Amino acid sequence: MVLREFFDKDVVALDLQGDSKDEILKELIALLALDEKSEGILFKMLKRRENLGSTGIGRGIAIPHCRSLVVNRLRIAFGRRKAGVEFKAIDDHPVHYFFLIVAPPLEVSNQYLPVLGKIAQFAKEPQVPERLAKLETPEEFLALLEEKSV
Amino acid sequence: MHPQLEVLLQIQDLKAQKRELEEAGGGRQVQEEQFKLDVPAALEALDGKIEELEGDLDPPVRRRYERMASGITRVVAPAINGTCYGCFVSVATSVASDRSERNSLRSCDNCGRFLYFVS
Ligand SMILES: [Zn+2]
Repeated sequence: MVLREFFDKDVVALDLQGDSKDEILKELIALLALDEKSEGILFKMLKRRENLGSTGIGRGIAIPHCRSLVVNRLRIAFGRRKAGVEFKAIDDHPVHYFFLIVAPPLEVSNQYLPVLGKIAQFAKEPQVPERLAKLETPEEFLALLEEKSV
Repeated sequence: MHPQLEVLLQIQDLKAQKRELEEAGGGRQVQEEQFKLDVPAALEALDGKIEELEGDLDPPVRRRYERMASGITRVVAPAINGTCYGCFVSVATSVASDRSERNSLRSCDNCGRFLYFVS
């Protein structure tokens, strides 16, 4: 299993506009193209996870995630906010790069935790924040995942 | 979506989160190592939230929920392509297709779980 399999360019947004945690979460959720009601439930669930402790893992990267019945398979999105957003990250730095992960409560393939782990691993790779900063197209993001082969 | 179903869904999702944190290894390990989550505090917060949401259930719904919750882990099952994913029995076509029916609080005739129609 490699991360690249879970992304296509429709779920990559390099120009998020939000200036708060809530706005960013909503923009990320919108990338999944769910119905409005499901978006609302998902937003609440992600907020609750953030309230337990920020998913900002440092180096300008956050991985908001949760399980929810509103999706019927593992869904992932990536967003970038060049200006950075206060996210209460572990290192107290603003967050620029966001990986959203949502999985149903029961998954036959059990990909949720391995994918969460792989994204955290990707975030720790040398040069990753710098490379994410320089991306110009979603295709370049996909190419970066392939290159790092996590 | 029926407002009570929305509450039930949230309870169920929070319970799934809680179970994952309670299991040694797996989810708990990822949360502790990668996100530095204080697991005991998180479990307590989840319990509080679950209790609060249970209080939002109407008494008849709450009674059915409590009856089921004592025996099975998931009281809401997704219905996908006309099949209840709690018991894998097909849901009556009238239930599966009628829009007004979809917006009411429906249960599976076979297993009794509340149904959430996933499109
Ligand atoms: Zn059933």
